[in-house]
Amino acid sequence: MDTILSGVFALMDRLLPFAFAEPAFMKRALLALLLTAPAAAALGVPLVQHRMAFFSDAIGHSAFTGVALGVLLGVSPSWTMVAFGALVAVAITLVRGRTDLSPDTVIGVFFSTVVALGIAVISRQKGLTRNLQSFLYGDPLSVTDAELLWMAALFLLVSAYLAFLYNRILLLGIHEGFARTKGVRVRAVEISFSLVVALVVTAAIRSVGILLVTALLVIPAATARNVARGAASALWISAGVAVLSGIGGIVASWYLDTATGATVVLVAAACFAVTALVGAAVPRR
Amino acid sequence: MIGCEHHHTLEIRNLTVRKGGVEILSGVDADIRCGEVTALVGPNGAGKTTLLLAILGQVPYTGEIRFCRAAEHGQGAPRIGYVPQHLPLDPNAPITVLDFFALSAQRRPVFLGASRKTRESARESLERAGVGHLLRRPLGRLSGGELQRVLFALALRDAPDILLLDEPVSGVDVAGEELFCDFLSQVQRNSRFSLLLVSHDLSVVTRHADRVICLNRRLVCRGATTEVLTPENLAAMYGADAHLFRHAHADGHGHLHDEGGK
Repeated sequence: MDTILSGVFALMDRLLPFAFAEPAFMKRALLALLLTAPAAAALGVPLVQHRMAFFSDAIGHSAFTGVALGVLLGVSPSWTMVAFGALVAVAITLVRGRTDLSPDTVIGVFFSTVVALGIAVISRQKGLTRNLQSFLYGDPLSVTDAELLWMAALFLLVSAYLAFLYNRILLLGIHEGFARTKGVRVRAVEISFSLVVALVVTAAIRSVGILLVTALLVIPAATARNVARGAASALWISAGVAVLSGIGGIVASWYLDTATGATVVLVAAACFAVTALVGAAVPRR
Repeated sequence: MIGCEHHHTLEIRNLTVRKGGVEILSGVDADIRCGEVTALVGPNGAGKTTLLLAILGQVPYTGEIRFCRAAEHGQGAPRIGYVPQHLPLDPNAPITVLDFFALSAQRRPVFLGASRKTRESARESLERAGVGHLLRRPLGRLSGGELQRVLFALALRDAPDILLLDEPVSGVDVAGEELFCDFLSQVQRNSRFSLLLVSHDLSVVTRHADRVICLNRRLVCRGATTEVLTPENLAAMYGADAHLFRHAHADGHGHLHDEGGK
């Protein structure tokens, strides 16, 4: 494990002979973003199509509680956050499929419940707020090697998942009944998709924080919508924007001395603004 | 090979669908005949879409739905094509008509591009529907008429035994509607499949349907179009406002709604 990482770091020293890439924590931050941001952005394309931005925000905020529970139970908060996020994602999806309430209402109920639970737990534990800070705002500079390996595994998982199910997810987003007639197993696709989103959201929280994590899924996908002409270009533009903002954000934050996660999101937002202008200037049919 | 003509493609017996303790459909019997256009008419809330969903196996029901497969389509489960009533389109969605065809035609994820086979079959189906030029257009920016032709082309690509059309001419202008209906009867004459059409539009029904099933939570009547669409039956189906439909009959272009049906 360590040898893989040190090999990667050596390679990065070769490829990136710049001051910002010298410290090991910067290399870890860069790797963390290059692994999670494109995965989040690729999932973001169907996420936006399914109008699930609020869902990913709810999962992001469930991390609050996940972290608090980890500290309470004496387990590493990074992992309880993942487990709790996955749990909330599946719970929301199951309830949504069994009620006539609109999806945003269901998500709203879960969202506030988990945040309230998190705050209740935190308020009992003195000294937890400091621990929470890095999750709230994100801190890619403190990513551990174990977390990096998890992010790499997740990157592969998301790639395989999308290669296998992307068509069915998009078809479902167009029309559920129609998708069913084409053999899409709706519930299985919904649950697996929400689960994968939850895993990626909780991994990306390490980089950009609870408050901004939805941005990593939504902004690149929205940027792609401004200019993409088809389903293929949409996904690649979205992933490309994620890579660009990951690298651009890290470099900019190094020189501007700003919070890394926030800077990454600002670069992505700049990409959105530019493509919105381009999209408005070039009429599409 | 068994001749298609005197064959039922679909036999529905004593079909009952309940949702939340309410019977949406009770004891419906109906046959869809091979090679014919059957229209399903009835007021809003009559259970027309529910019947389609039951045929598609998407709602639980009691009773029986038996399929008889067209002999020329070989063995196996019957293929059911379905054109939904509303495809809520997102004008911004980065999905072209070709992507839409690829989504249900190929294993390869669309972000790796459409396969040659997909492209060719999509182009062929679209050209048969007279809309070959739409292949690369964004799905969300099609007009109502264009979209319906695309949906129809997609449904036909898979050579269905039965094609279910839910309100195929709602939200389309008159010219588009005429074109669509002409196209419909053209294809119907050429290929051997049965068509079940949900429609509010009596003029469409009288011009294109061979047979009619009138529904209002239960079977009101069924039979040949000319015999069934009588003022008495329409009154039974839609309630007391039968004069609306005499009017509809007179100008041949009335739209049926549920004014009297509640």
